[in-house]
Amino acid sequence: MLEVRDVTAGYDGVPVLRNVSLTVGKGELVGLLGANNAGKSTLINVLSGIVPVMSGAILFEGQDIAAMSAPRRVDAGVVQVPEGRLVFPQMTVRENLLLGGVNSTARPNRSRALEHVLSLFPRLGERMEQKAGTLSGGEQQMVALGRGLMAGARLLMLDEPSLGLSPLFVQFIFGIIDKLHAEGLTILLVEQNLALTLKHADRCYVLERGVVAVEGRAEVVRDDPRTRAAYLGM
Amino acid sequence: MEELLQAIVQGFFVGSTYGLLALGMGLVYGVSGIVNFSHGDFVTLGMYLCLALFSAFALDPYVSIIVVLPVMTLLGAIVYQYLIRPIAGRHLLMIIQLTLGLSLLLQNALMMTFGGQPTRTPSMIESKLFIVGDVVIRGSHLVACISSFALAFLLYFVLQSTDVGRSIRAVQQEPRAAALMGVDVGRVQVMTFAIGIGILAIAAALLLPGLPIQPNQGLRLTVITLLVFVLGGMTNFVGIMLGGVVIGVAEAVGTIYMTEVLGQLLPYLIFIAIMLFRPQGLVWRS
Amino acid sequence: MRPEFFAQLRSPVPWIVLAVAAVMPFVLPNYYLHIFTITLVYAALASAWNIVGGIAGQISLAHSLFVGCGAMLSSALLVRYGLNMWLGVIVSAAAAAAIGAMISFIDFRFRLGHLSFALITMAFAEMAEIYVTGTEFFGGASGLFLPKDTGDFFAFQFGGGRGAFWAMLAMTALCLLANLAILNSPLGYYLRSIRDNENAAQAIGVGLLRNKTLAMTISAVLTAIVGAIYARYLAFVDPYLLVSPTLTVEIILFATVGGLGSVIGPALGAFLLAPLGEILRGHFGGSLPGLHYFIYGAIVVAVILVSPAGVWPAIVSRLAKRGRQKA
Repeated sequence: MLEVRDVTAGYDGVPVLRNVSLTVGKGELVGLLGANNAGKSTLINVLSGIVPVMSGAILFEGQDIAAMSAPRRVDAGVVQVPEGRLVFPQMTVRENLLLGGVNSTARPNRSRALEHVLSLFPRLGERMEQKAGTLSGGEQQMVALGRGLMAGARLLMLDEPSLGLSPLFVQFIFGIIDKLHAEGLTILLVEQNLALTLKHADRCYVLERGVVAVEGRAEVVRDDPRTRAAYLGM
Repeated sequence: MEELLQAIVQGFFVGSTYGLLALGMGLVYGVSGIVNFSHGDFVTLGMYLCLALFSAFALDPYVSIIVVLPVMTLLGAIVYQYLIRPIAGRHLLMIIQLTLGLSLLLQNALMMTFGGQPTRTPSMIESKLFIVGDVVIRGSHLVACISSFALAFLLYFVLQSTDVGRSIRAVQQEPRAAALMGVDVGRVQVMTFAIGIGILAIAAALLLPGLPIQPNQGLRLTVITLLVFVLGGMTNFVGIMLGGVVIGVAEAVGTIYMTEVLGQLLPYLIFIAIMLFRPQGLVWRS
Repeated sequence: MRPEFFAQLRSPVPWIVLAVAAVMPFVLPNYYLHIFTITLVYAALASAWNIVGGIAGQISLAHSLFVGCGAMLSSALLVRYGLNMWLGVIVSAAAAAAIGAMISFIDFRFRLGHLSFALITMAFAEMAEIYVTGTEFFGGASGLFLPKDTGDFFAFQFGGGRGAFWAMLAMTALCLLANLAILNSPLGYYLRSIRDNENAAQAIGVGLLRNKTLAMTISAVLTAIVGAIYARYLAFVDPYLLVSPTLTVEIILFATVGGLGSVIGPALGAFLLAPLGEILRGHFGGSLPGLHYFIYGAIVVAVILVSPAGVWPAIVSRLAKRGRQKA
């Protein structure tokens, strides 16, 4: 479904990612691991079209999207749930969710998508008219995730969904991720939390200083000594 | 007493249009973080376009809106795309400098085209007067007031309940997330600037009947707009309309009760006081 | 004071420029000498503004107030009370310093951001114009006429065109010197750190109130003195010229075009634009009033888009590049 070929990208002419290649198959849950500053967030921002590609190709369902603008990629179904949630604080939960479905592909199915999101997060149903900025961190993560689902994601990219959440909420969010995975959604999960990701993902990539250091099935990655080395920065 | 009532009513009516001027500024500030110091010159431009249409085709200023509104909106889009966008996000000083330059440019283009003499443009309802009790209401003021509030409500409705409006607010609150949701941030910024200038076309036509205009009035109109804008808490709709009314009334009351100089100073004194003691504006919601 | 300050003063270039400029009254016809004098006024004003706007990065829109203070107050004191204009200049410079310090204090006390500072100073400038044009003491809307310039130096008279030129030349040199001295002193270092990041500056112990106030008062005093000399030169003290916020806009635009924050930049901007403006006004003032402002506006917009740092930094970096290529 997604194929990243030899992508080099970075900011102001300085590459952060060097010759990164990666694939995500349809319906797969792929984990993207690595220490701070390994380039994980840069990679999904490249996929979202926020950070430009210097060289290489990004194929989404066979089509090269490397030159596509960020809004067009959302139309195509490549949707990111950003790190730190970034809800629209002055808007109600309902408005946040509706904005998720503002792109041209998702708009016609908005009411159905909203029902689906509310069935996943019944708690949001109770808070529909509350300003998103007044919610707890966990609830905001629900809004962010729901907003991404409203966008009609065919590839959902989650950036650090567990960041700053209580263990109970982390468990809940990952439960939802599993459920979406079981429904057949393709997911790229960026996480610092090694154990958690290995437990839920089908396959994993470990980035180290902008290059792919380890890749393979979750068990393989877990047992590879280079994984731990990449984390410890050795 | 009658004098006071008269002044309050007139100040209220004119102030509502000041509110409209500041709404345009607030919208743009919220979305792009830009304070446009050529705001008043765009209003003046709108007035002169109405004047030109009146001189050429004897069009009433209210009718001219049909032409002036699209022209100004398009101009706003062009100005944003080619002049402001390249420096958007840079130091505030640069934006102030650029828009001050733009102000000189516009003001003196008008000066060269229309000359510096004060000119008035009549309107069909300019001389209509309504008398309610002891208060005399000018027809043009009434139209300005009703139209300004109607337009403010319309804008508020669009912002609150349409996808376009939500996209604008999304860019205002969290531009990165808006982009990730497929909102074209650049386009929203161009659009809001164009709308902001377009509103000025309407405000210009509303203020015009009976008002002597001069090409160099722009800076003063910018200052009045800034006063209202800050008073209203910059992006708060209700606050801005209220700020417009406060400045309008302060101006009108000031000129009858105090010496002329002090009366003219009153809006500025209120502005400085508010700036210092209530920097969040008059209306404040947590 | 860092050694660079003295090194730059020992360099022959500024002295040669000054000497060449000083003989201009013997060379230039009256009309061009007049243009040169006006240019010097703007160069001095832009340099003085640079201390606050360029070096410290505080967008002051209040400088027309300081010009007006120097021009109107000293003139009014002379015309109304017969006060010696030297004393008048001292009084009005002190008044400008006090107003500047008050603005700085308000800025500090209420922790104004850049935007609020610009707006408040703009409000002060507007109020100053309304106040002066409405007050009989300052001559109201019609302004004041100063007594004939008989060349009596002790009465702040410089003897017509030549004398005024030399006085302005000295004043411009003083403003440039003040910029150079500040940039090469601890004050300049503090001000630049405030410009770049106010919080970080405070964190390393740079006193905001003290340094901002110092910059503002120095700038205000210089500006007021320039205003007084300008008023004396014009002999007719017109509030719509000298207390008009448009004057501040011009000053800022000249400084911007030349390049903020450097010693030469703001004055250079004035030298590029002011003569052009004066000549255009001379030729087209009757047929196309406003043409010179229109061109100013266009140039400013173009400079900000093409070379946002201004003309002088662009020249410096071009020269530096060429120097490197040769080496």
